[in-house]
Amino acid sequence: MNHELDTKQIRQHLNRSAAQLDQPTVEKLREARMQALSRHHARSTAPAFAWASALAGSGHTAGSHRSHYHWAAIILFAACLFSGITYWQGTQDNDDSDVDIAILTDEMPIDVYVD
Amino acid sequence: MRTPHRLLALIIVTLLYLPALLAAKPWTELTPLQQEALAPLVKNWDSLPEKRQQHLLKYVKHYQDLPPAKRKRMHDQLVAWSGLTPEQHRRAREKYKAFNQVPPEKREQVRQMVREREANKAASGVAPITPVR
Repeated sequence: MNHELDTKQIRQHLNRSAAQLDQPTVEKLREARMQALSRHHARSTAPAFAWASALAGSGHTAGSHRSHYHWAAIILFAACLFSGITYWQGTQDNDDSDVDIAILTDEMPIDVYVD
Repeated sequence: MRTPHRLLALIIVTLLYLPALLAAKPWTELTPLQQEALAPLVKNWDSLPEKRQQHLLKYVKHYQDLPPAKRKRMHDQLVAWSGLTPEQHRRAREKYKAFNQVPPEKREQVRQMVREREANKAASGVAPITPVR
């Protein structure tokens, strides 16, 4: 059996059948094709931040791009917040070093100033 | 991994690493000047809390402007000072500031009393305090 011939025959049958379809069916098929293409486009062009999507539990739907960026922005913001707060807390030590040096280098022993 | 992924990962790692800049520094990672200024603390430096280390490192910029006699005086008192609690440090600063508000003649009287006390200590075998100019 010639496989290439079979494929051609199938295509011809499909073309003949398609030509016999009524207009509403053709329209539904066209819409389904467009939807499939748009899904394929979303999957192939920008799965950037796909891991964020996985976290969100959302699949590659039409709005998944936006979801990816939302999650990326949230994670970035959380990292900034954590970093900023930690750094700020670390630098909150008032600079009393000038007074400390004055005490340390004073003639008076430090126990005079300590209870 | 795509470029946006890499960029985002790099930014996040950098941001998370930033607080580590404030982390404790082992003695061996201090600069020669820092080691000289904080030399009396060599034995217990690595066990000091990060915040205490950060504060003590601020002394270094003052240390390099001190004359030799004051550097020695600072070294003499540094171990005892670093052993105090933050609350004791706070109260000591308050007392020091208050003491400096006292009229000079009264202040000198107190200093004289302390000198006599130190002299008595010296007489009983404790090292006296030498005036620092």
